[in-house]
Amino acid sequence: MDSEDDMHDADDLDSLDDQFYSGYAALGSDDGDEYDFVDNVSDGAEESTSHRQQQNYTILSDADIRLRQEEDISRISTVLSILRSEACILLRHYNWSVSRVHDEWFANEDHVRKVVGLLENSSEMQRTRELTCGICFENYPRDRMTSAACGHPFCHTCWRGYISTSISDGPGCLMLRCPDPSCGAAVGQDMIDLLATHEDKEKYSRYLLRSYIEDNRKTKWCPAPGCEFAVEYIIGSGSFDVCCNCSYGFCWNCTEEAHRPVDCDTVAKWILKNSAESENMNWILANSKPCPKCKRPIEKNQGCMHITCTPPCKFEFCWLCLGSWSEHGERTGGFYACNRYDAAKQEGAYDESERRREMAKNSLERYTHYYERWATNQSSRQKALSDLHSMQNEKFLLFQLEKLSDQQSQPESQLKFIIEAWLQIVECRRVLKWTYAYGFYLPEHEHAKRQFFEYLQGEAESGLERLHQCAEKELQIYLDAQIPMNDFNDFRTKLAGLTSVTRNYFENLVRALETGLKDVGSSNNQATCSKSSSSKSLGSKAKGGKSKATGNSSKSAGPSRSMDDSNLWSCDHCTYANPKSTRTCQMCEHHR
Amino acid sequence: MQASRARLFKEYKEVQREKGVDPDIQLICDDSNIFKWTALIKGPSETPYEGGVFQLAFAIPEQYPLLPPQVRFLTKIFHPNVHFKTGEICLDILKNAWSPAWTLQSVCRAIIALMSHPEPDSPLNCDSGNLLRSGDVRGYRSMARMYTKLAAMPKKGAESSHTL
Repeated sequence: MDSEDDMHDADDLDSLDDQFYSGYAALGSDDGDEYDFVDNVSDGAEESTSHRQQQNYTILSDADIRLRQEEDISRISTVLSILRSEACILLRHYNWSVSRVHDEWFANEDHVRKVVGLLENSSEMQRTRELTCGICFENYPRDRMTSAACGHPFCHTCWRGYISTSISDGPGCLMLRCPDPSCGAAVGQDMIDLLATHEDKEKYSRYLLRSYIEDNRKTKWCPAPGCEFAVEYIIGSGSFDVCCNCSYGFCWNCTEEAHRPVDCDTVAKWILKNSAESENMNWILANSKPCPKCKRPIEKNQGCMHITCTPPCKFEFCWLCLGSWSEHGERTGGFYACNRYDAAKQEGAYDESERRREMAKNSLERYTHYYERWATNQSSRQKALSDLHSMQNEKFLLFQLEKLSDQQSQPESQLKFIIEAWLQIVECRRVLKWTYAYGFYLPEHEHAKRQFFEYLQGEAESGLERLHQCAEKELQIYLDAQIPMNDFNDFRTKLAGLTSVTRNYFENLVRALETGLKDVGSSNNQATCSKSSSSKSLGSKAKGGKSKATGNSSKSAGPSRSMDDSNLWSCDHCTYANPKSTRTCQMCEHHR
Repeated sequence: MQASRARLFKEYKEVQREKGVDPDIQLICDDSNIFKWTALIKGPSETPYEGGVFQLAFAIPEQYPLLPPQVRFLTKIFHPNVHFKTGEICLDILKNAWSPAWTLQSVCRAIIALMSHPEPDSPLNCDSGNLLRSGDVRGYRSMARMYTKLAAMPKKGAESSHTL
């Protein structure tokens, strides 16, 4: 229902009449943008992901935002026959949702007017020659006083002070009311424009503009520092990744940096873990010992030295020496002391703190493994990005000019492939980085999935290294060269080829991970072919229309197991599909 | 500065003119500084504060009346929304709900209303707030009564320093 409303809002700019009758009016709308989007879903083919990314959001510049806001205000003002300033107050109150204003207004106009502070019958100030200002208590002639729709008169100086105080207090000034405490009459932009100083008017209109983006569910500011664009997103329309005109890519849902193929929850968990890990680890080191078998940290808060780890591990051990309990008994000093421990300590062979650190490190190791790789890709990406920028600024221009003068056959457009290669590197580093967070949260026991994932990740890594190497090192030769080189065309072919191969590979990888590698674990022997697995999952997505693209990463596909070839079983170890008749894997000889 | 002085002077004249109209409130301006006022208010009837006289101190900012005056109790009072040590008052119209159309007189009226209707859910005096929140009205009333007797009532036999 929600998304229906929003779709409705987003596109029916022209269809005023349909507005309050049906949410489905939106689909029939012939608004240009929307048409393309709808068209594309039915398309459902390979490219739809990339196309959809272009279609399901709009980047709004300052001018666009102002224009839209003006349009919304005009529409409300026309339809409800109220002043523009009143329409503005009304829209702000209902978070700039045109349809909500309509709904509420036509359901109970009196109530809306009361809540928002729009008086039905504006009363004039008293018809006497002189009036007393309600703030400074001075008397002024009538023409030097102003009131809101309620007729409570205040002098211009006091109004200016009142408005200025409220504006410097923050965006609450957009909900300004008459200064009289018993009166709720709203004070709108018309009065601000009439009474406030130039500076305050500017501030007010900036708050108004910000409110249009910030209070609206469908729009957000680009989170990149210093960026002034906003993004309007069609809610419920697939991938959350948006790329602002400032070239910053982010997730519309959680406003973190773009993180496909990992979903927002995982990202939040990962980021929290990265920030909390060091402190947590200190506490764990100081207060717990890891189970000698499963390495989970255990805090001993009471009881004897005989520790039994919680299921599924259930390992029984001695808290003091961390040795197996089965080796303990009367001869080692019973249940409350451990001779082995005391003896070892006396001999100096046992450095408890050393050992404890050792154990904790094991559980930390896994995390560190993933974190390091995540962070390395992060910094690689930053480096690539800055390389790209500097190339666009200096070197590239020089290079270009050089080539142009030396060798007429290399116009500017012919060198685009280099930029494209770098853009691809930046994008791939981003994806690769997040695959490490993905890997960290991939359940340990799903062996086949893990192995397949690690294989895909490895391939992606080496593919990307190849591209990065080519774009960085090999290009340098041509940058350094003083004379035109004949094999430049070969280089172009190679780099452009690598770029497109890598792009394809990563697109497939993202899709496969987003669907939770669901082909693995089933008896589907196509699992090792990423191409077919991804096109299959994509097909199912297209059929579903607008499904959420951020799939659950850890979900395994149960249903397909029963449907697919029932006379095969897939090896847990290497994923090879074996005939039912065999007990061991024909590929790796792993037992079923 | 000039505007606030003018406005306070208006209020001063109004107070002089209306003397005795509201017998529960007596506003006194500092002789040498119009930005310092004190007020004496009577504890409202049917409350544990009944019969007490409470002294309030007003410190008025230069931006008055666009900004609210700072008010605190000088007389010790046991009330959920008054700080037991400093006498600071937690009242919305003295903070974000202030309107420049309020006057010192109306602030006093609002404080009297607050004494009759404490807001235990936003307490400055947690002990007092907790008594009310846990439903121990009797405990709250007797504590409040005790402090009223101790701090806000003229001692028997001693000459009353201020009469209302």
